[in-house]
Amino acid sequence: MAYVAVSGGKEAIEESIRLLDFYQCSNDRDVEVEAIESKLSLLVDRVMSEAGLYSKPYAALALKQCEGSIEEAVFLLRAYRSTLTRNYYTTEVNSNDMRIIRRISAAFKDIEGGQILGATYDYTHRLIDFDRDSKRAAKLYATMQNSLAEQNPEEVSFCPRVSDELKREGLIDRYDNYDDSTSTHNRSDQESQTDRPPHDVTTTMLEFPAQRSARLQTLSRADTGFISGLAYSALRGFGQVHPTVGELRSGYVELCVVSPLDENESLCVGEILITEVECFNTSDDKDQLKIAVGYGAVFGRNENKAISMAVIDRELDNGGEYPTQDEEFVLTHGDSLEMNGFVSHLKLPHYVTFQSKLDSVRKTRAADATGGDTHE
Amino acid sequence: MSKPIYEQMDKKRLSRILARASKADLAVLSAEIQKTHTPLIVKEPGKTLTMIKMREPVKQSLFYLGEVIVCEAIVELDGEKGAAVLMGDDTEKVLDMAIIDAAINKGVFDGMDMLQQLEKEQESLIQRENALHLKTMVNFESIDKEAPHDLNALKKA
Repeated sequence: MAYVAVSGGKEAIEESIRLLDFYQCSNDRDVEVEAIESKLSLLVDRVMSEAGLYSKPYAALALKQCEGSIEEAVFLLRAYRSTLTRNYYTTEVNSNDMRIIRRISAAFKDIEGGQILGATYDYTHRLIDFDRDSKRAAKLYATMQNSLAEQNPEEVSFCPRVSDELKREGLIDRYDNYDDSTSTHNRSDQESQTDRPPHDVTTTMLEFPAQRSARLQTLSRADTGFISGLAYSALRGFGQVHPTVGELRSGYVELCVVSPLDENESLCVGEILITEVECFNTSDDKDQLKIAVGYGAVFGRNENKAISMAVIDRELDNGGEYPTQDEEFVLTHGDSLEMNGFVSHLKLPHYVTFQSKLDSVRKTRAADATGGDTHE
Repeated sequence: MSKPIYEQMDKKRLSRILARASKADLAVLSAEIQKTHTPLIVKEPGKTLTMIKMREPVKQSLFYLGEVIVCEAIVELDGEKGAAVLMGDDTEKVLDMAIIDAAINKGVFDGMDMLQQLEKEQESLIQRENALHLKTMVNFESIDKEAPHDLNALKKA
């Protein structure tokens, strides 16, 4: 059966797009982009992370444009980024210098630099606050600004990593000379030094086995729900990992680029908020045990995604038969744009292919009724 | 005239101050320069992407965390170039930054005191924010004094 070109529906589509306005404007109140950026910042963080593009105002604008749909907002940001050139790469960002706003360890209670809870919902009562309406915003803002003004300045000090001490003790492998040019499987612990540019999944197709840089980039921009579900499956028994969060840290890291006028100078372009996790697991080391670490890093304050990424990172290092240990399965099914695009395409007309299926079913039934060969 | 600012701070420190400064403050500094100098725009202010290259702590390997939108501008002031790159899409601010940079490179910038004052205010704000966060630091009191949950103890051992 050949494809049949059909036309029509143009006016209906235009009206459908116009109807979106009706759904976005069920009353005359508007929500400002700045308010979305500030009041729904965790949602904004998630969109930026899954889009792989850090821009709070644009993420907030995208969310406003599509009624808060994460996948649509991710699509808008990805589409927009594809229209821009990429003129810069940052100099190496080292999160050891993070200006920390939250830092906890589930492995040790006393850690150098201390455990800083920061702002977290972990200890809140999960009860809806029916008094929380928009009228409180101005008052709350003034209160917090006053509180900030009254603080005695505390110098920012950088915290050492929890894993550093375990590395010094030899309980965690050190990879001072790590080579990213080979695959992540079957690699000896110490290999030759290269600081060659990482694999960039936005410009180069993933290949398997994937480089570690490709894995981390892919997981960092993966759909939060997808990798959270995968990590959950690993924790429940469809995997080998049930880690301890060695360290979870959120904070600001500074971004610098080489000056366009002088390659010996760098320019600070601003700072971004990220969350990083190192998860500790026990692992075999010849005839003894060691601590193996999984790593996660994401834009914004998206802790469960960062933890899930660290779980998956370790699972992929382990390898095995479970889905979470299958590199190709994990890395090719978690991109928000790709997965939602593919699922969404099922809504598009499949008239011809379905007619073909229907024909087959009808023929089979007709053959059954006449006692003919059902496998024709 | 005070010692030229470029002899006192490198570009990284300078750009950090300018990036953190408000658009209004930079507009004042830029306007002051333009009273006596006319900047030529070499590269129109515009948006571009910057890829973030990170080193992860587990295997010390490099990877790309994602991209960030920045805007950039290059100007020329009496034959001396100035450049600026800034996170976000504020093309007016980035142009003012480039003009200030060019004035500094030319040695005709006279706003050092203001920049240093801005830097102080920026640091103070960051430190007060830091104080807010440090109030959430946990002071554990262990019921079992022998509890082996102290990384510092591990370190001493």
